[in-house]
Amino acid sequence: MTGVTGTIRRDAVVALRGSRAAWAFGVLGVTWLAAILFADGFDSVSNVRYLVQTASFLGIVAVGQTLVVIMSGIDLSVSGVVALSAVVCAKVASGTGGGVSGIMAALALSALVGAVNAGGVVWLRVPPMVMTLATGTILSGALLVYTDGSPSSAHLPLLDSLANGRLLGVPWAFVLWLVVTAVAGWLLHLSRTGRYAFALGAGEHAARASGVPLGATAFTAYVSCALLAGVAGLVLLGFTGTSSLTMGNPYQLLSIASVVLGGTSILGGRGHLLGTVGGALLLTLLTALLISWNLSEGVRQVVLGVLIIGLLLVYARERRT
Amino acid sequence: MRERITSAARGNTDLVGLLVLLLAVLVAYQHYDSSLLSPASVTILSAQFLPLILAAAGQTTVMLLGGIDLSLGAVLGLAMAVFATYDAHSAGGVVTAVVAALCAAVAAGAANGTLVAYAGLPPIVVTLAASFLWSGVTLIVLPQPGGHVPGGLVNAYNNGWNGLAVPALAITLVLAAWKVLRTTRHGLALYAVGGNEHGAYASGLHTRGTKIAGYALAGAFTGLAGIGLAVQTGSADPTIGTPYTLNSIAACVLGGISFFGGVGRMRGTVLGALVIGLLTNLLLFTGISPFYQLIVQGVILVVALALKTYLTREAAV
Repeated sequence: MTGVTGTIRRDAVVALRGSRAAWAFGVLGVTWLAAILFADGFDSVSNVRYLVQTASFLGIVAVGQTLVVIMSGIDLSVSGVVALSAVVCAKVASGTGGGVSGIMAALALSALVGAVNAGGVVWLRVPPMVMTLATGTILSGALLVYTDGSPSSAHLPLLDSLANGRLLGVPWAFVLWLVVTAVAGWLLHLSRTGRYAFALGAGEHAARASGVPLGATAFTAYVSCALLAGVAGLVLLGFTGTSSLTMGNPYQLLSIASVVLGGTSILGGRGHLLGTVGGALLLTLLTALLISWNLSEGVRQVVLGVLIIGLLLVYARERRT
Repeated sequence: MRERITSAARGNTDLVGLLVLLLAVLVAYQHYDSSLLSPASVTILSAQFLPLILAAAGQTTVMLLGGIDLSLGAVLGLAMAVFATYDAHSAGGVVTAVVAALCAAVAAGAANGTLVAYAGLPPIVVTLAASFLWSGVTLIVLPQPGGHVPGGLVNAYNNGWNGLAVPALAITLVLAAWKVLRTTRHGLALYAVGGNEHGAYASGLHTRGTKIAGYALAGAFTGLAGIGLAVQTGSADPTIGTPYTLNSIAACVLGGISFFGGVGRMRGTVLGALVIGLLTNLLLFTGISPFYQLIVQGVILVVALALKTYLTREAAV
């Protein structure tokens, strides 16, 4: 009897140690508890609502980033795509086209950027980091040319209610994030494409030799990632009502940080999408907590950097081979 | 003779291609600005390109170790901020400011290196987290653009000092130092650890120490770049370093430095940085909106790398 419980307990410990996604949520819970105890207002419903609302902007980008990182890629063009989507949508909507055509144009262009990324990685054999860096650079240049340096603002009722509205008290943005996560979770963890992505991340040569289609998998991952960055750009446009050329910049590094904090290996092949959700919530909560303590921006960034390094040291170390 | 040239060229496909590209850019440049080869434009251009060349040299050091430094721009900003906030009125004051800025950059680099060597985290993750840390420290040192650089220094740097192109001289000195370092045990260890870490460890190299020293050296290069940028502009801006992270990687990649470590030469990086810098200027001359320079930069990066992959694949078959 004791032997059985002992085994179960040992299994549970091993599973916990192996599940980095659980770690992300554990740390999130502890941080939230600390926030309630040591800062004001973190126990109120409105605060939680605001937190999950603002976390969804980052979270939607981070879900896409996870898909790419799992297959040992990386997307450094997400900041450009977020800005692209918002700027194009605002410009089209405030011009002759309506809101719907603006949204369609923004999403189509975002997907195109993802396709270009995948094409460069698959056909030109350019390393993902360089390819996405290049498309990101080209995008910021193209946006400068397109807007002449001064992007327009637009008020779209549809995006406004998407970003600020609520469904039974839950922000629509959060609902959207959950839906996105569910679909992406199915794609990554239950579909055949997802299995291919994990295989490619674990070892590209072996995966290709055993017939994993690099092209189709890469296109699915990069296009989904860019599309989600585009969606985040639209929600942000609804949230602020204005578009700017630099509005995507914070999401570049923070989306990768969410993925890594969520326990996904940056080298690919290992991780879980739910961890990324925990990572994005954790980063948003930490930022909100540091802001509530009235720390200067410099101190805030130092603390955030030290915390990220510390957390990674605790549970995200790569096994030494 | 011809055989020797062709065989040398085959071994250095990247460098030859890059040189051809550089020559083409220079010829076009000469067409728009006939004073290109005068001492005055050497001073101006080297003053303009020094920050990118030195930042790319720092990135090269890290990439030769098989790493990548996403915190380079933040460290560059840190050195710039420390240098410019140090109120230097006398010559001795300037020296102290330089030493303080370099110490900050080297310490930041060594900290990155220590984490990479001992923490068991991939360099990209360590330097990503470190980029938050170092840009935070920079904001504490200098919350908004400002600081002060002595006017005489700014003038000497940008317009030459007694007919000497100071920035060109600085670049030459730094490259000469690298050349010497490369032949020493430490320089060779850098390549060995980057090329094959287990092999290097098995043959008795202190791989962790080499990594820490390499990242610290990269910090020194980056710090010099930051000081150069502060002197060039006459003040400091805590966020101006950000684009240097990606531009330095671009210069390295153009210059043929491998992402996997151990392969590449510093001269390639310098050529890569020169091509990026000259192209940017060339676009200004041609009267095309400067907004297009980012587009051209990105396209060149992809085309150069795709071409290189294509050529090396042909050679391998």
